[in-house]
Amino acid sequence: MTDTVHPLTAHERAHESAESRRGFLLALPAYLYLLVFFALPLAIVFVYSFATRNRTGGTDLSGWNLDSYGRLGDEIVTRVVMRSFGLAMVTTIVCLLLAYPFAYFVSTRRPAVRGLLLVGVMIPFWTNFLVRNYAWRVLLSNDGPVSELTQLLGLGETRILFTQTAVVLGLVYSFLPFMILPLYASLERIDGRLVEASRDLYASSWASFRRVILPLSRPGAIAGSILVFVPSFGAYVTPAILGGDKKPLLGSYIVSQFLTARNWPFGASLSAVLIVVMLSATLVYFRAGGRNL
Amino acid sequence: MSTPAVEFSGVTKRFGEVVAVDSVDLEIADGEFFALLGPSGCGKTTSLRMIAGLDLPSEGSLKIHGEEVGPLPPNKRPVNTVFQNYALFPHLTIADNVGFGLKMQKVDKAEIGRRVAEAIELVQLGGMERRKPTQLSGGQQQRVALARALVNRPRVLLLDEPLAALDLKLRQGMQNELKALQREVGITFVFVTHDQEEALSMADRIGVMGDAKLLQVGRPEEIYEQPVSRFVADFIGRSNFLPGTVAGDDAITLANGAAITGPTTGRSAGTAVDVSLRPERVRLEARGAAPADRPSIDGVVRTATFLGNAMVYSLGLDWLELEARIENRPSQARFAPGDEISVWWRDDAIAVVDGGR
Repeated sequence: MTDTVHPLTAHERAHESAESRRGFLLALPAYLYLLVFFALPLAIVFVYSFATRNRTGGTDLSGWNLDSYGRLGDEIVTRVVMRSFGLAMVTTIVCLLLAYPFAYFVSTRRPAVRGLLLVGVMIPFWTNFLVRNYAWRVLLSNDGPVSELTQLLGLGETRILFTQTAVVLGLVYSFLPFMILPLYASLERIDGRLVEASRDLYASSWASFRRVILPLSRPGAIAGSILVFVPSFGAYVTPAILGGDKKPLLGSYIVSQFLTARNWPFGASLSAVLIVVMLSATLVYFRAGGRNL
Repeated sequence: MSTPAVEFSGVTKRFGEVVAVDSVDLEIADGEFFALLGPSGCGKTTSLRMIAGLDLPSEGSLKIHGEEVGPLPPNKRPVNTVFQNYALFPHLTIADNVGFGLKMQKVDKAEIGRRVAEAIELVQLGGMERRKPTQLSGGQQQRVALARALVNRPRVLLLDEPLAALDLKLRQGMQNELKALQREVGITFVFVTHDQEEALSMADRIGVMGDAKLLQVGRPEEIYEQPVSRFVADFIGRSNFLPGTVAGDDAITLANGAAITGPTTGRSAGTAVDVSLRPERVRLEARGAAPADRPSIDGVVRTATFLGNAMVYSLGLDWLELEARIENRPSQARFAPGDEISVWWRDDAIAVVDGGR
């Protein structure tokens, strides 16, 4: 930081504005893309959330009101939201517990082995998301391989397809890499000498982990948790394929408002609230973590 | 003599095929300021890490105050380390960094508070307790690292190139401070450095390491005046090496045929030796002005460099190049390139080391 601000010469000013113009031009395609395919649809969702459903299931854009938002307190909505929230929390925690030891293991390998293991983490991405979810449906079905195995072991038939357990299983499977990668990145950055220093200062290996590695890997745990929680909360595909429809989650509930109930304003208001809640949760989470980094 | 603070007996450390430390025997006395000196990769840091317990010996016995510590993990040893680049915990405040070791030893809170305050006072960092390490300068971080180790009252303090990351001015100040601190706390300091000046100026005794071996242990003067090998003489300060052979007890014939006197320390006649002659011990006279009763060698000045407090000459003798450093005194004769000169030295100015490389 400089304490004195020198007035810029005309020449310098021209140079700076040319620089910023070039930067803007480079970013323009991305801006345009985001504007047309992200900001605009989002704005439409917000606009529709204030509209009214007419008798034929169409949407009346005149006469804005907050009626749709008024329905958010309905018991069914609260139940769906709480269920989705709980499921997303469980998914996030399970991912964290599974990913942490693995990421730690990877970060302590030789660089060549690390690369190999990380490629392994990415392999599932080579197959379509939908296909992978259907694969789980085959695996978990009442006469699928998992069930056959438990029968062979005398544990009886496995009946977890179309339950919340199956949904959590599918979500954990889908989002685990998003937890592993940021965790690995932050663990890999930790200076090994800090661990040695803690050992030299009378920390047992467990204390050294708890007092040094764990706090220093927190940024990765936070980033990973957000990357898993946010898509889990609003997940649609996995619950639709593995969860059946007896206990709807937020994602499928919103979809049903658009496609089945044909109440676009209500679906839009649910979406709007979901976006706002997740955005603020993310901000709070980052702030809380950021202060202690 | 009382029990040594640290005792290596036949300690060897191998990393796979590589021998990092090769059967080292060493005793470091209680309360001593001991420097392990050597070029990078000589095994000095590995030796220090073995005392700390961060590396375990492959062979041999290592005792701290008479107790075998070979297999003990670092947290069970009465030693603490000041790490190169300090390794301060970035997520903890200065006070929590300093108090870390006491907390791990389950010392009670009030006691921790008192001792941390004391340690921070000792390294003159009062007022910095609530800051994070990244908010301190390099010199201040260095002090935190010192306080963090000393607060535990270790029986031996290990320092791994603690001054290497500081700039020259700060380094010289810290040298004096460290020395004073060591006298004040009375703890054995074992200090690893590749900087020979640092070792010479601070240590009570120095162990010179090269190529995984401990080559010589002694007081700074001994190491400087009586190096046991060409490697040591070359690493500690600068030196000229004059090849020759032993002619008899304390008699050496130089490669040019000149007969000189020097300590042959039991080497049998015919052994190839190098005579180590420090540049500042070279006497330089105009051709023919050397004392008649001393062997002298004739030569020519090749270059003359003015350094302010001294002149450094590169001298061409018939059979080798010699460096001479002559203090600038008002009466001192100066020479210019091309001048014909004679070189001589006093008998006690030289050391005899094994010849060849």
